[in-house]
Amino acid sequence: MHGSEAGAASVLFGLNPMWVAAILFAITYIVVMTEKVNRAIVSLLAAGLMIVLGVLNQETAIRGIDFNTIGLLIGMMVIVAITRQSGVFQFLAIWAAKKVDARPWGILVMIALVTAVTSALLDNVTTVLLVAPVTLLITEELKVSPYPYLFAMIFSSNIGGTATLIGDPPNIMIGSATGLTFNDFAYNLMPVIVVIMAVTLIPIYFIWGRHLKAAPEDRQRVMQFNAREAITDPRLLKQCLSVIGLVIGGFVFAKALHLEAATVAMTGAALLLLLANFGHDAEHQSKHVLEAFNEVEWITIFFFVGLFIVVHGVDGTGLLKLLADKMLALTGGNLTATSMIILWSSAILSAIIDNIPFVATMIPLIKAMAPTFGGPEGLMPLWWALSLGACLGGNGTLIGASANLVVAGFAERAGQPIRFIQYTMLAFPIMLMSIAISMVYLYWRYL
Amino acid sequence: MNAKILMNPHPMTLRPSDTVATAADRILKHHLRHLPVVDAQGRYLGTFSIYSLLKLTLPKAVLDKYGLDNVSFITESIGDLAQRLDRRREDLVQDWLNIHEVAHPSMPAMEVMLLMLNGRTTSVPVVDKTSNRLEGIVSFWDVLEKLMGENA
Repeated sequence: MHGSEAGAASVLFGLNPMWVAAILFAITYIVVMTEKVNRAIVSLLAAGLMIVLGVLNQETAIRGIDFNTIGLLIGMMVIVAITRQSGVFQFLAIWAAKKVDARPWGILVMIALVTAVTSALLDNVTTVLLVAPVTLLITEELKVSPYPYLFAMIFSSNIGGTATLIGDPPNIMIGSATGLTFNDFAYNLMPVIVVIMAVTLIPIYFIWGRHLKAAPEDRQRVMQFNAREAITDPRLLKQCLSVIGLVIGGFVFAKALHLEAATVAMTGAALLLLLANFGHDAEHQSKHVLEAFNEVEWITIFFFVGLFIVVHGVDGTGLLKLLADKMLALTGGNLTATSMIILWSSAILSAIIDNIPFVATMIPLIKAMAPTFGGPEGLMPLWWALSLGACLGGNGTLIGASANLVVAGFAERAGQPIRFIQYTMLAFPIMLMSIAISMVYLYWRYL
Repeated sequence: MNAKILMNPHPMTLRPSDTVATAADRILKHHLRHLPVVDAQGRYLGTFSIYSLLKLTLPKAVLDKYGLDNVSFITESIGDLAQRLDRRREDLVQDWLNIHEVAHPSMPAMEVMLLMLNGRTTSVPVVDKTSNRLEGIVSFWDVLEKLMGENA
């Protein structure tokens, strides 16, 4: 999708296009970081300026937008919007809590696993929005602090999201830009993710887990929850599970079927909309289709659209190629050193800045390294390093990923605020531990 | 006709430091729905209502803005629910206030009735614009009584 292209309009005032693009790009980053202006506004405005100032023309700008990423995101968001109405996620959380006899530590592990598995298949923010309320209910019933549960939830949502192509936006972008499939992600990342998930629970156990106690009568109250009652619409649930099954099947066989991920997700969304609205009158259909579309996070989508254009503008000027060459000069064109630099720098930067613009920038930069490493095949370890670093790095601070902030919001409203410094002091080392495990894994498997 | 004429100038009130137990007793004894809460200077701070009591009895996870909208899986006895409320009996009313739209003494009757309809409430506190002192409370029963009296 990226690459230097001729055909850009001539830059206004005879300015150097590389400088105009670089300055616009830097301003975009800085303003997004300050959070003073909504990020979708910033990226769209910067994209507009890229065209107005003549770095790109409209045609090349549109070619920079990765519609496969956009389509995949929108399709999955529509599917989730409909599925959440069925109550299946509350069912899962309650079922999991009862499986461990409502023991506080057991529930923490189960909630972490439910969050990780759900995050691997759905967007992380949606996952925590669905799992956090039930978790708060259970901790309230058990009269235990929700803090360790919410802490574990942040980690498991980011860790689980790393495991699949559709789990986290960086993976969606990497997959779309490189043609790596759902199976490639699962085959290459799932093993290390399972290890990281298990190891992450160890410090959580020693810090909080071993002290968690609940009275038998309080546990009994949780055991009396009737999980089946959480399912509000069994018919809808069957439809959703069937479509999600088909969509995942579609991702697994995408290569054999010659389908791109966006086609699978959007077709799945359309099919689910059809099933959920079948037999209803036109007015009911319009209302429900509109409700599902309203649940799409348009801020994220338009942020992506603008960002793709901005990065495409920067890429077109050769600036990213220049940076890639500098990085290779630094590592002496050594694959191991380059992988490690990408892994650690993505992890640390993703803990501080939004990982979406970072990954959007890194993708063309890594692609530019292909000649050094013997073509696109030789880049594999670098893609996995980028994915692991950018996704897991999000755990490092409270602002590292949007899901972290959503969980912090729940904690705040429940009267157990997660403070930035306090969180970082514990989370950053645990995040570094996950990156260390990733480093060993990358080295052992690919280098 | 305006709010000053419609209102009860001596409504029953609560202090911010009153407990939930005191408020619940008063609500039950007098069958009130809303009790205005005023400070020592008589300034209006908010309203403690039957909705505050409902919130106190429900789990926090339900009250969150992204909270659970279905709790049919919780099968609690009336005893369990009573315990929930009992755990909060020493909470202060100041932590459970609802902030309602208020009327001013000179507000026309129709505007007061619109406030009731839009706020889905049966009573509107009447507050002095400058001092924020509670002057009285207009309840829907006062309004209806006046309306029916005119037609009699």
